[in-house]
Amino acid sequence: MTLTTTARGNISALAAQRIATEERGGARLTAASLSAPATILVAIGLLIPLVILFRYSLNEFVAQRKMMVEAVTLANYVKFFTDPYYTNVLFRTLRVAITVTAICLVMGFPLAYVLARTQSRFKNLLIMLVVLPLFVGNAVRAAGWMTLFGSKGAINATLMGLGLISEPLEIMYTETAVIIGIAAVNLPFMVLSLQSVIEGIGRDVEEAAFSLGANPAAMFRRVLWPLALPGVLAGTILTFILGMNAYATPVLLGGPQFQMMGPLVYGQFAGVSNWPFGAAISFVLMTATLLLSVTANLIVQRRYRR
Amino acid sequence: MGRWALNGAAGLALGFILLPLIFVTWLAFFRQEIPSFPPEGYSLRWFAAIADERKFVDGFFLSLRLGVLATLIGLAVGVPAALCLARFRFPGRETLGSLLLLPLVVPGVVLGTSMYVFHVEAEHALDMDILGTFLALLAGHSIVVIPWVVRLVTASLAGFDRTVEEAAQNLGANPWVTFFRVTLPMIRPGIVAGALFGFVTSFGNLEMSLFLVGPGRTTLPIAILQYLEWRIDPTIAAVSVLQILLIGGAMLVTDRFVKISRVV
Repeated sequence: MTLTTTARGNISALAAQRIATEERGGARLTAASLSAPATILVAIGLLIPLVILFRYSLNEFVAQRKMMVEAVTLANYVKFFTDPYYTNVLFRTLRVAITVTAICLVMGFPLAYVLARTQSRFKNLLIMLVVLPLFVGNAVRAAGWMTLFGSKGAINATLMGLGLISEPLEIMYTETAVIIGIAAVNLPFMVLSLQSVIEGIGRDVEEAAFSLGANPAAMFRRVLWPLALPGVLAGTILTFILGMNAYATPVLLGGPQFQMMGPLVYGQFAGVSNWPFGAAISFVLMTATLLLSVTANLIVQRRYRR
Repeated sequence: MGRWALNGAAGLALGFILLPLIFVTWLAFFRQEIPSFPPEGYSLRWFAAIADERKFVDGFFLSLRLGVLATLIGLAVGVPAALCLARFRFPGRETLGSLLLLPLVVPGVVLGTSMYVFHVEAEHALDMDILGTFLALLAGHSIVVIPWVVRLVTASLAGFDRTVEEAAQNLGANPWVTFFRVTLPMIRPGIVAGALFGFVTSFGNLEMSLFLVGPGRTTLPIAILQYLEWRIDPTIAAVSVLQILLIGGAMLVTDRFVKISRVV
């Protein structure tokens, strides 16, 4: 009696299991067919191209015939890291990206805080004003800075009109111009990253700190900053990546003499058709960006883990 | 006192973001052609002059066509993928998520170079025109739209109550009807936001497109960049103003469907 019940129990358990497996199989099929088109498009359109690009970076380039020859060599990478011209471009790009990130963090935090805490009915409008420049495109914003920076531009005209300077300042085609331009381009990203995190921090936490006798500086350092750290990290990394890869701003505000990594890659492809070297620079740029972002992430996480 | 300092610092940052747009708009109305301050007078003639610049007119229509088609393709493949990521638990799900966000992480210049060499290789292998064709450009643009659709639709699916779908199916709706009549209306904010961000990303794309445009074909951002490399004058400023108005208009329309401040 007990034996048959167990047997029957076993059988129904088996049947249930089989049905479950079939259902899971069906679910797997649905999941696969839902995600397949996007996955295939990205895999063929981006993943395979990246592999080919890496393969190209190991090829040789015969300068006399302007031709690529199949090979497996690290010569392109060696060329990049042994020629001071190219290492200087890399260091300049790093310097600009780090400076820009610092400026964005300092300028972005107050704006993000005010946007996150405001009760104003214009909040949506204010956020749209932060997002609009982001959408308008880098070249258009560079055009705005060009009208300000030129020798007869708004800044020089104002300063000379006030009698503060007698000769126009040279702002166009300097590193300062590029840094200001990229900082303005990246600031909205920093503000939005910080704002979304600050909105999640309860006001009561801040008030608790104040009621326990903290002054605003102490509250910021001991309460707000540690809690906002995920947003700080996200914003910093995003801003840094965008700074490293800037293209339109250095081309337009830095001029042909001011080389950064992005324009350098384009020059190798479009200018001298040296695909293997251009491919190698692409990978140096991508690796440097990713390595620094990951390292920053690890350091900050370790320091603030309690 | 502290409040004033805080608001002042915030206002300064907002001004810094908006300053270039304000000045480029100002320049578009100058009477003289040289961008020297203060202006000698004001004029609207530069806006009429745009129509004579074929590069801007053609560039605008190419960018518009690319943006619309790439957004439609991005939605068609991105929305199902987002459903898959939000609904199913399977091995490799994280990897799939990262893969679909990859086009957002890879720098624009690297996107361009890698697609360029891919097109070169594919041309050799298939013996057909690929490099510089409209379809190749469209494929690139569709790929940069996908991560925005996946990200924003996945986010809107996170707070989704599945019992509503089950109720619909209990009442006899088949999966298609359930999707179009129940699921789709509920994730509309995510789709609208994904479409807006996708369209804007495609329309404004510069670095990748630089490598993919063929001879005689120019998108609007490339036309603007090439003109600015040569000179800055009120004509290009007028083009910029039109672009600012177009994008601003698209944002205001989108804002009626879904509050921008909630999705960014």
